[in-house]
Amino acid sequence: MCGIVGYVGEDAALPVLMDGLSNLEYRGYDSAGVALVDDDVSVYKRSGEVDALRSALPAAENAPQTIGIGHTRWSTHGPPTDANAHPHTDESGRVAVVHNGIIENFETLREELGDRTFTSDTDTEVIPHLIAAELDGGATPQAAVQTAADRLAGSFAIVVAIAGVDELFAIRRDSPLVVGHGDGETYLASDVTAFLEETREVTYLEDDDMAVVGDDGVTIYRDGEPIIVETEQLEWEADAAEKGGFDHYMLKEIHEQPRALRQTLSGRFDIDAGTVDLDLDLEEAYLNSVEEIQIIACGTSNYAGRYAAELLESVTEVRTSVEVASEYEFDGGRDPWRTLVVAVTQSGETADTLSAVRKAKQAGARTLAVTNTLGSTVTREVDDSLFIRAGPEIGVAATKTFASQVATLSLFAVYLGRVRGSVSSAEATTVLESIRALPGAVQQILDDEDYIREVAEEHGDSNAFFFIGRRFGHPVSLEGALKLKEISYDHAEGFPAGELKHGPLALVTPETTVLAVVTEGSNADETLNNIKEVQARGATVIGAASAGDSTEYLDVQFSVPDIGLLEPLVTNVYWQLFAYYVAKSKGRNIDKPRNLAKSVTVE
Amino acid sequence: MSQSTPTAVILAAGEGQRLSPLTNRRPKPMLPVVNKPLLEHVLEAVIDAGIEEIVFVVGYERDRIQTYFGNGDDWDVSIEYAVQENQLGTAHAVQQAESHVDGDFLVLNGDRIIGSDAVADVHAAMDGETDAAMAVTRVPESEAYGVVTLSGDEIVDIIEKPRDELASNIINAGVYGFTPAVFDVIDATPAGPDGEYRLTDVLARVAENGTIRPVRYNGRWLDVSYPWDLLSVTGQLLDQDGGDTAGSVGAGAQIDTAAHLASTAAVGANTVVGRGSTVAANARIGPNATITRSVIFPDATVEAGAVLSDCIVGANATVGANVTAAGGEATVVTDGEIHSDVIFGGLIGDNAAVGGAATIAPGGILGNDVVVGEGAVASGTIPDGVEIRRG
Repeated sequence: MCGIVGYVGEDAALPVLMDGLSNLEYRGYDSAGVALVDDDVSVYKRSGEVDALRSALPAAENAPQTIGIGHTRWSTHGPPTDANAHPHTDESGRVAVVHNGIIENFETLREELGDRTFTSDTDTEVIPHLIAAELDGGATPQAAVQTAADRLAGSFAIVVAIAGVDELFAIRRDSPLVVGHGDGETYLASDVTAFLEETREVTYLEDDDMAVVGDDGVTIYRDGEPIIVETEQLEWEADAAEKGGFDHYMLKEIHEQPRALRQTLSGRFDIDAGTVDLDLDLEEAYLNSVEEIQIIACGTSNYAGRYAAELLESVTEVRTSVEVASEYEFDGGRDPWRTLVVAVTQSGETADTLSAVRKAKQAGARTLAVTNTLGSTVTREVDDSLFIRAGPEIGVAATKTFASQVATLSLFAVYLGRVRGSVSSAEATTVLESIRALPGAVQQILDDEDYIREVAEEHGDSNAFFFIGRRFGHPVSLEGALKLKEISYDHAEGFPAGELKHGPLALVTPETTVLAVVTEGSNADETLNNIKEVQARGATVIGAASAGDSTEYLDVQFSVPDIGLLEPLVTNVYWQLFAYYVAKSKGRNIDKPRNLAKSVTVE
Repeated sequence: MSQSTPTAVILAAGEGQRLSPLTNRRPKPMLPVVNKPLLEHVLEAVIDAGIEEIVFVVGYERDRIQTYFGNGDDWDVSIEYAVQENQLGTAHAVQQAESHVDGDFLVLNGDRIIGSDAVADVHAAMDGETDAAMAVTRVPESEAYGVVTLSGDEIVDIIEKPRDELASNIINAGVYGFTPAVFDVIDATPAGPDGEYRLTDVLARVAENGTIRPVRYNGRWLDVSYPWDLLSVTGQLLDQDGGDTAGSVGAGAQIDTAAHLASTAAVGANTVVGRGSTVAANARIGPNATITRSVIFPDATVEAGAVLSDCIVGANATVGANVTAAGGEATVVTDGEIHSDVIFGGLIGDNAAVGGAATIAPGGILGNDVVVGEGAVASGTIPDGVEIRRG
C-alpha cells in the first residue's frame, strides 16, 4: 500500500506535501518523492524514508510553486531505488504521475510505447508516457488523462501534474482517493489522515470518477459529465472515539467476538451435568411433541440458521428446514401444532422476517425469536424469545452477531436434545465443550490478523472469489461470500463444495481465488477432490484446516484450533478478516457499503 | 486553584518483555489482576479521583486494549486513543497525546496500580503556579527506580536508576501533572544514551528551569515486573479487598473468601480454590481439583484432580486431569537473569496443553502453544510451540 498526496492552493505546495507524506508514512516507506509544478515540472525523489527525501529538497525560497503531488512507496514492481520512486515522468519531463495500486497490463502498454525510453522498472511509468502520447496527438490535458486511464487494467488511484497547466487530474479505480476542500486550496490524498490538520470537509471519489483540481476548487466528472460535488464533514475525533480506536466499526466488532461469545454463553450451561438452561417459557411437553422446526431469516441470520439446522438435525433428530423469510409460506401440509417456527433476526425489526412470523402465527404455529435486541418488534409478536447478548452491532456487515446467533442456537439444540431425550448427557457434554471453546479459539484467529491481512492484500485483486465447504462448512461459505460482496463489491459466491462440478466450475480460471473450509465438521476428505479440480484450472486455494492436519495441498493455509463441530464457525472469523482487508485495500466504505442498510425494515 | 477536570493520559503502549510469554500476544497493561486488566485498575483510580476525560497512549498489541475499553461507555467516561507506533520512550509516548490534550493534564503508567488519592493530590497540586507536579513515594531500596532529590517544597533533580551512593530513598511514583508548556520541553529534550526519549529527562529539564511540586504518597503502589509478581500482587489485593464467588460452583466445592471467580467461570464439584487464587471469564476447573494461590486466565480449562499451587495458567490453556504443579520456592532464569528463591509453581502459556498426570517442576515456564505429553515432566523455560513427550 502506497500513499499519495496532491495540493493546489495559494501557499507554497512543498511544505504541505511533506506534512501529508509524513502523516501517510505508515502506509509505505521504502521511497518517497514530490513533483512541483509551474511552467516546468520539478521532481525530487529518493529511496528510503520521508526524511531521506528531505535532504534532497530545495530550500523553501527556491520552491515557491503552489501546485504539487507527492508519494510514499512500498515496492511491488521493481526494487526500492531512486529511479523507481514516484513521481514518474514521461521522456520530456512535462507529465508527472503518482500512483497507488497495480497496473496489470503495463507490459503490453510498454511494448506499444516501444519507441519511448523508460527509466524505471515500475508499472506506473507507462501512465505518464501514455498521457504524453495523447498530448503529442493534440488532446487537451483532461482528455489525455482520461484516455490514458481508460487504457489501464488493474487497480489504481493516480494524480497527474502537467507542466504549464494549473490543474491536477485525479482518477481512481479500486484504490482509495479522497478530495479535501480547504479555504482557497484543495487537497488530494489516498487517506484523509494526510490533510486532516488542514480540513475536515471531504469528498470520496467513486470508481472511475475524474477530479480536476484548480484554483477555484474541484470539478468531478462521471462518465464525462460534471456532477454536483457532495461533501461530507469528517467528525474525526468523535467518530474515532466511538470506534474505540479502530478504523471501522466492523473491525471493532470482529475483535469483540470472544467477549460477545462469553456473554452469549454466560450462565447458560453446566458442562459436567451436560445440561443447558435458556430460561424459555415453551413447555417441555410441547417441545417433546414438535415434529419439525422451521427457521426463517434473511441474509447473515439465514446462514446462521442453516448452521443451526445442520446441528439440530444431527443432535436432536428433529426435522429442520431453513427458509428465506421473504419466500416463506406456511404450506406443505405441515401440522401447525407440531411445528416450531424460529425467527432469527439481529435487530428484531427485519420486515421480511416479521411478515413471515405473522404468517406462521396465523397458521397456528408457535414461534420463537432469536434476536440481539431486547424490546424489539419481533419479541412482542412471538411466543418466546431467546437473546444472543452480542451487544450493539453498528457495522452494516454483521460479524459478531453471526457467531453469537450460531452459539445461541447450538445451545438451543443441546437443550432440545436433552428435553427430548435424543442426546445423552455425555454427548451433550461433548457438544458443550466445543461451544465453550469458541471464545478462546476465536481469539487465536484474531492473533493471526497480520498474516490474514497479508494474504488478503496478495489475493484481493482476483477476478472472483468462490467459497466452498461441506456440511457446517457450507453455511460458513455462504456467509464468507456475503461478507466479501457486501463490503468489497467483489464477485463472490458460496457453494457446497460438491456443487462446483455441477456448474460453477465453468467460471474458475487462474484469476479465481477459492476459499475452502476443510476443518472438522466439514467433511474435509471429500472436499479435497474439489480443491484439486479448481487447482487443475489454475485457481489459488486458501484453506482453513484443523490444527495439526496435513495440508500441503493448500496454496495458503489458515489453522483452526481443534475444537470439534464448531470449527467451521471459527473459520468464519478468517473469512471476516479476509473480506475486511480486501475491502480496505480497495478503499471501500466498509461500515456503510453502498446501497445497503443495517436493518432492513421494508419488504 | 486547580482546573475543574483535567485530562488523564495513561501510558499503555509498552510490551513488558520480562513477562514473556504472557506478553507475547497481549500488552503488559492487559495482564489480569483479580480478573481485571492492570490498566482497568489504573483507570478506576483515575475515575475515583473525579476525572472523566482519558487518553490511552497505545502501541504494542493495541487491539486488545481498544477491544476491552472501547470508548469508555462502560465506565461512563470518555476514552480516546493516541497511537505510539514505535516504542521510543515515555516522553515520546506523552508527545503522541498532544492533540488530545487541552490545558493542564495528568500522566500515569498504565501498568502500575496506585490509589486514587495519588491522582487527586497531584491534580490538586497543579495550582496554576507550578510547572509540574509529581507523586513521590518512599521505598526501602530505590536503585531500580527514578530517584528524586527534594529541596523544601520543590523537586530539584531526578535520576533514573542511579548507581552511586544514594542521596535519598524517595522515588518517582509515576503520577505526574503537567501544563501544556511541557510539550515544548519534550520537543527540546534529546534522547537518552539508549535512544529513548524519557519523561525523567524531561522532568530534570523542567526542574532546572522551573518548579516541580512533590506530592508525597504512601498508599497502594503495586508493580508487576516478572510473572511471579502477578501472584503476589493478586494475593495482596485479594487479601485487602476480599474475593468474589459469583461464578458457577459445583456441590461441595470450597472457594476461599480471598479468592475471586469471574461471573462466567465454573468450578466443579469438591474442588478447592484457595486463598490468593483467581479464575477468569469462561474458564473452567473440573471436579476434585486443588488450586492455591494461582491465577487462571480466560477460557482456560483445568481438568479433574489437578493440583496447582503458585501457578499461572494462560488464556485458553488446558491442564489435564491429575496434573501436579506443587509450587513453592524456585530459581528461575529469564533473559540471562537469575532469580533465586521466588515463590513460583510455574506458568502455562496461552493455548498450551498439558497432558494428564504430567508434572510441572517449580519455576517451569511453558511458552504459548506448548504441548506436554501425558505423564511427562516439564521444567525450566520452554519456548513457544515446543512439544514435550514422556522420556
